[in-house]
Amino acid sequence: MTGSVGLLAAAIAIGLGALGAGIGNGLIVSKTVEGIARQPEARGALQTVMFIGVALVEALPIIAAVIAFIALNQ
Amino acid sequence: MLNLFHIYQRQKKYILFLLAACVLGAAFTPYSTIFAGIGLGAAFGLYNFWILQRRMLKFDRAFDQGKKRVSLGTGLRFASGIAAVAIALSLPEYFHLISTVIGLMIPYVLLVIEQLVFAIRKQNEDAKER
Repeated sequence: MTGSVGLLAAAIAIGLGALGAGIGNGLIVSKTVEGIARQPEARGALQTVMFIGVALVEALPIIAAVIAFIALNQ
Repeated sequence: MLNLFHIYQRQKKYILFLLAACVLGAAFTPYSTIFAGIGLGAAFGLYNFWILQRRMLKFDRAFDQGKKRVSLGTGLRFASGIAAVAIALSLPEYFHLISTVIGLMIPYVLLVIEQLVFAIRKQNEDAKER
């Protein structure tokens, strides 16, 4: 079914997923860097929170990329 | 709070247990494709986590050295997710597709559950101290 509709579905899925991940990761990293600059002694805790945040933010875009790939291959 | 390395070590431990269970399930139950799919997805999920941990350490070092451009490896993680699904799509007689996708997300679910348990335990300890 890799017609134009399938391509459009894949493009929308991966595009919107990547948009969300980009904005989310950008916010997380910028706030973490800001926090470390303000309070260098809290670096470990901030880094852990950033790790968890980035991991969770990226879960959905990965699913979106996977769905796009499946839509392209069916 | 647990640090990055400890979180990764725990995740690794849980996923290795899960992989062992998947091998047993694939070998001794009639749902072998489902267990194989979950195992494949979980292995790639663990790889994603390893990349994330490594990139976070790199980010830390780059922050120390004052570098401005650091990659968090997002594209690589997307690609590894797609690789897992590509394997499942190309070998449908061995791997169940939906199970592979579910397996890919298992490390994230474990991470949320672990943090919730940690937060609840800490809250209880704080309540006891008062």
